Amino acid sequence: MIISVIVLLETQYSDFQEYLINLDQVFRNIGEAYEIVVIANGTGNFFRTHQERFPELGARMRAFEFVTPVTQAVSLKAILKETQGDILVICGSYQQLTNQSLEDCFRAMDATTDLVSPWREKRIDPSFNQLQSRIFNWITRCVVKTDLHDFSCTVKVCRRLVLEEIDLYGNMFRFLPAVAVARGFKVREIPVEHHQERGKTGFYSFSEYASRILDIFTIFFNTRFSRKPMRFFSFIGIGFIGIGIALMGVLFFERLFLETLIGNRPMFLVSLLLTILGVLVSGAGLLGEIIAFTNGRQKQEYVIEKKI
Amino acid sequence: MTVLPKAIHASKEKMDESSKQSSASTSYAKETDMDLYLSIVVPVYNEEESVETLIVQIVEAINGLCVSYEIILIDDGSTDHTWTIIEMLAALYPHLRGIKFRRNFGQTSAMVAGFEHARGKIIVTLDGDLQNDPADIPILLEKIEEGYDIVSGWRKNRQDHFSRVLPSRVANYLISATTGVRLHDYGCSLKAYKADCIKQLKAYGEMHRFFPALASMTGAQVAEVETLHHPRRYGVSKYGFNRIFKVLSDIFAINLIIRFSSYPLKGFMLTALPFIFMAFFFGLLGVSAFIFEWTAGKAPFFMLGSALCGFTAIYLIVLGVLGELVVSTSDLTHTHLPEITKKEIHMDKS
Repeated sequence: MIISVIVLLETQYSDFQEYLINLDQVFRNIGEAYEIVVIANGTGNFFRTHQERFPELGARMRAFEFVTPVTQAVSLKAILKETQGDILVICGSYQQLTNQSLEDCFRAMDATTDLVSPWREKRIDPSFNQLQSRIFNWITRCVVKTDLHDFSCTVKVCRRLVLEEIDLYGNMFRFLPAVAVARGFKVREIPVEHHQERGKTGFYSFSEYASRILDIFTIFFNTRFSRKPMRFFSFIGIGFIGIGIALMGVLFFERLFLETLIGNRPMFLVSLLLTILGVLVSGAGLLGEIIAFTNGRQKQEYVIEKKI
Repeated sequence: MTVLPKAIHASKEKMDESSKQSSASTSYAKETDMDLYLSIVVPVYNEEESVETLIVQIVEAINGLCVSYEIILIDDGSTDHTWTIIEMLAALYPHLRGIKFRRNFGQTSAMVAGFEHARGKIIVTLDGDLQNDPADIPILLEKIEEGYDIVSGWRKNRQDHFSRVLPSRVANYLISATTGVRLHDYGCSLKAYKADCIKQLKAYGEMHRFFPALASMTGAQVAEVETLHHPRRYGVSKYGFNRIFKVLSDIFAINLIIRFSSYPLKGFMLTALPFIFMAFFFGLLGVSAFIFEWTAGKAPFFMLGSALCGFTAIYLIVLGVLGELVVSTSDLTHTHLPEITKKEIHMDKS
């Protein structure tokens, strides 16, 4: 069994070489064959300046560079064929978990598990960060219907098959455990201890929040409705049409029996608008169904585990 | 045993021949390449109690027919010992094959996987919960030999609670009325298909109920025969209650696909028509209100309504054009489906 330790180097931290040497130490102690693959995502120059300082890693370490930064999902997919490991350990730009926890994560990878996701049960971050992280995790948990608790930790341990089979794109790396569950992989979450989170604290920029919400929605739609879009659109569409027609009914009742004039009532306009909105959404659903039928036919959603 | 049509006898002879060949070469690979007459596809989900009885019943029903066959059990991510039992049974019954899904992907996926792996010229599907009686399979096959492409079972005396029978009646009526493929019992899993008709469809989502309607895209001839229905012996029914809405939107989707997946613009144009009429109607009212100075309905209001309906119509037509783009960039296999069921007319050359 070969382990590939993939380091996603995206931010420049001064203790980078200590981090790598430490990582090397952890996996040397585990005693399996391993390699360390660094993906310098827009940080190639930074990596080069540190390179000479750990010559002892030499043969075990390889590095790749994206001059123009890409997302984690894209870089992982691109580097996957360069790695040899049967088990991939994916780490971030700095040491997020304690050595012991990192080892625990690896050890949790038994025969029946396909992916191990760490759960930082006791957070040691500023309370505001903890709060927003909790909210994010909670929303994700509800939306994708898993019992996982922690999606924001970069560290993941998974079988090669998981990354080979899942079409990760965009910002989907964060949701790898959720997508893996949807694909039928056995995902295990284990509680870990972590180091202080680096990077930005306090409020993120508006676009950060917005893109996070959109990502969650994308995952929601892709995992649940990509093969039956009509269900999703008609749920919304019929809802709008229903409200619109109900309001219209109220107005007609008033016009007929109470003899109120309705021509200048804003409610009339609202009911008309809602009905039309419903029709538009359902129309988009029809198009979605046509796309699913014509273009998605070669892609079956089921995964066969065994055949006899 | 029932009187068998010629074709079954013919295929029996063929089977004898090919089995001689395969026994000569004694390799399993040869045998898998063999063309079979019948594939029986059964999705099972947590059916550890009934799997064995099911296989025994099927084998009993088929053996009398003397046809080459295989049984494909698809374990749809069972959480009990279903798969272990299938593996054990596969050692006992050489005709049995099994496919195990990594998780529960639903009945449609299970059936589609079964179709993909089926090697028979005719595919029969049935439920894994013993509610269908495998003894009915020969009746379905006879009907297929009469020249029909799809034969559906009809559970005339359904052994379910009224609360399940009634919604299913309504659904059957709606599907029959809207798709034009009139069947009493779309929900009956016991169905027989000519393999070409169903393999090409590549169904997805939750369409297993609609296979006969969907197959009408190929121009398939559909018939139905009465079948037996037994009450559930083991376990509980695997259906939820919130199905009404889902089935309704599925009926909607299936009609769209059957009618308009080859000409989406036409479909969207039809949807847009009422809005075009309304736009003109409101426009006319608005103009009259303006000219005759009506007080009740104010002119701007009518004009606004007219504009909104007009926008909707235009938006729908734009979606239709987008639909045409999607269809023309797709693999387009669905537009050639009728070639499966084409039949040559033998000319009278006297």
